[in-house]
Amino acid sequence: MRYLFALMLLLVPILGVWTFVEADRWQLWFPQNVSSFGGEIDGLFNLIMYMVAFTFIVTEVALAWFVFKYSANRPGKGVFTHGSHKLEMIWTAIPAVALLFIAFAQMETWAKVKFESNFPKDGKYTKEKPIAELWASQFDWRVRYPGDDGTLGTVDDLERSYEFVVPVNTDVVFHLRSRDVIHSFFVPEFRLKQDALPGHTIPVWFRAEKEGIYDLVCAELCGWGHYKMSGRMTVLSQADYDKRMADIKAEWFSNGKEQGQ
Amino acid sequence: MSLRLPLVAVSGLALWVSACQLDKDQKPARPVVHYSLSSATTALGDDGEPLIPESAQAGIAGSLEMLFGTPQAPIYQLLPEWKDEDFDPNWPQYPKGEDGSGEVDPAELVANNQMYWRRQLTAIDAGLWDRVFVQDFTPDLLADWKALCAQTPVEARNEEFKKAARELFENYYPKLSASAELYRQHCLHCHGPEGGGDGPTAPFLNPRPRDYRHGTFKFTAVGKAQPRREDLYRILDEGVTGTSMPSFRRFSQAQLHGLVDYVRLLSMRGMVERSLLATYKEEETLTSGDTIDAYAEVWEKWQKADSKVLTFEGEVPAPTAETIAHGRELFMDAKTGNCLSCHGPEGRGNGASAFAVNPESGKVVPTYKDDWGNEIIPRNLRLGIFRGGRRPIDIYRRIKYGIAGGPMPEAASSLTNEDIWHLVHYVGSLSERPQHKAAHVDHAADHGGDHASEKH
Repeated sequence: MRYLFALMLLLVPILGVWTFVEADRWQLWFPQNVSSFGGEIDGLFNLIMYMVAFTFIVTEVALAWFVFKYSANRPGKGVFTHGSHKLEMIWTAIPAVALLFIAFAQMETWAKVKFESNFPKDGKYTKEKPIAELWASQFDWRVRYPGDDGTLGTVDDLERSYEFVVPVNTDVVFHLRSRDVIHSFFVPEFRLKQDALPGHTIPVWFRAEKEGIYDLVCAELCGWGHYKMSGRMTVLSQADYDKRMADIKAEWFSNGKEQGQ
Repeated sequence: MSLRLPLVAVSGLALWVSACQLDKDQKPARPVVHYSLSSATTALGDDGEPLIPESAQAGIAGSLEMLFGTPQAPIYQLLPEWKDEDFDPNWPQYPKGEDGSGEVDPAELVANNQMYWRRQLTAIDAGLWDRVFVQDFTPDLLADWKALCAQTPVEARNEEFKKAARELFENYYPKLSASAELYRQHCLHCHGPEGGGDGPTAPFLNPRPRDYRHGTFKFTAVGKAQPRREDLYRILDEGVTGTSMPSFRRFSQAQLHGLVDYVRLLSMRGMVERSLLATYKEEETLTSGDTIDAYAEVWEKWQKADSKVLTFEGEVPAPTAETIAHGRELFMDAKTGNCLSCHGPEGRGNGASAFAVNPESGKVVPTYKDDWGNEIIPRNLRLGIFRGGRRPIDIYRRIKYGIAGGPMPEAASSLTNEDIWHLVHYVGSLSERPQHKAAHVDHAADHGGDHASEKH
């Protein structure tokens, strides 16, 4: 019996590690990364994952070994102990050091992505002059582009729902806002997630390095329709982007003669 | 200990039996469902008896089912004269419109399908057949795809098969029954099975979901007439800001056009029901001729919409300080614009005539009700949220034609088109953020120093 239980416990780390090894082959792993800082975030994820995996395997193997060794069927007498002060010191100190290490290791990346002082300053779009304003509301995304005057909040602002169009290989800064409750902007391919808070204007930046269509989802349970709060992040070449913006503008200032206007 | 073994054995047996049941795919047959009649038709009188005798109710229900089918198999009954014209609303106009003359642009539809089904098309190109995932809310496409796969075994799938598979996805346009399925999954919980705006989530919403059965839709380009296909499509595509109607652009254009088809069917069904009810109340009897007449009349109304589209020549005029100032004058003037009587002098939607004190409760309540019987308050024009759209043409149409089903009236005939543009400019300027306002006109003069209350 003790062989059986020890084996079953050993299966946990073996199967657990196997799923991670096979995940990529079954396309259960991360989607491709297309943002400039996504690689660093993936690196941090992998670092933490290997640390956790090491701990997981060691503790699971130890567990299986203890079940095997100290089975009730074995002869011998139990020893009563108050524990080991030294051992407790060690298993407090090691995680503390590990957590401190993680805290320092991620700092640079976090600052790069989230600190406003590190936002792009020289590019076309800055914190003060964002590419657009992204409004989250129950339950859709609406993008408000500043229009010809380059200023948001004026009468010539263009607005489209659902689809956020940005140029490729450009530092993009946008303002994230919410009309009602807390939502969260999440584009898995960008490795970027940011909560939208009602009453706050939160600047967010990213640099997409590959053209394509990516899912934009709400990552904060925001009400009964949360599941349908999806959007589309379209990354276009600069020429296509200009063309698309011209289309949006033409549609906005339409005189109603075009079909469907 | 003695109980454990039999318990384990019994539960194991139960699991095995249920697994066998699943295996056999013994799903119960779907019961046939019917559309319900509206509460106006089935209403009870004071004596507890139905106002319309049950036999007449059954007659109306039967006529409607003959004309529009059931929720699982919606289908338009064809009028005899349509056969001569080669007109069949059950099949979308798109396949006929090879020259682009149809209701839907075929090239645009294919391009959009290529985008929407991009994962499936990539999988087809790569020959990864088990990755071609088709959702169950496109049952007709799923059936077609399965049939195509059944024809050709995996090892015999060559370039020709790939081409056929690609075409299947690229040219997808849902049948009415498939659109009804999509409607059931995504629209019914608010709009109800008959489009009566009475789905299970409807009571929690303000404003309430649209009741299609009147045939009245608020945000169109055709005023009070029945909407064009494009008007309904735009609502699905853009959503209605400030309400619970989200944008549904996550679906393909073909699917949205299919939903428009189905909403039209539900709306026509409701209109025919209302018309039959009115005829019955008048004549105490209904003939099959009445049914066909009502049907033909409703179809005519829906086909007429295109001729009433409100457009204008040239470019949208740009706002200047003068046009905004003139718009403001018209907004305040009781004889011409008179917008302030409802929307208030500051455009906050708190005008004097829109609210009244209820003498019983002493509370301030809205004066107006819309066609569906819900209380309605004027739009606050300073929020920059316009349900029918914030585009200049949208606001122009709202002012010129009014809003169907609500108290917003048509523009007075004394207002020229130019005047209406000036009103559009003024209304647009109201929702500009305070830091930009100085550029156009000094709003502070309107109402003292209440800027503090509208900081964003």
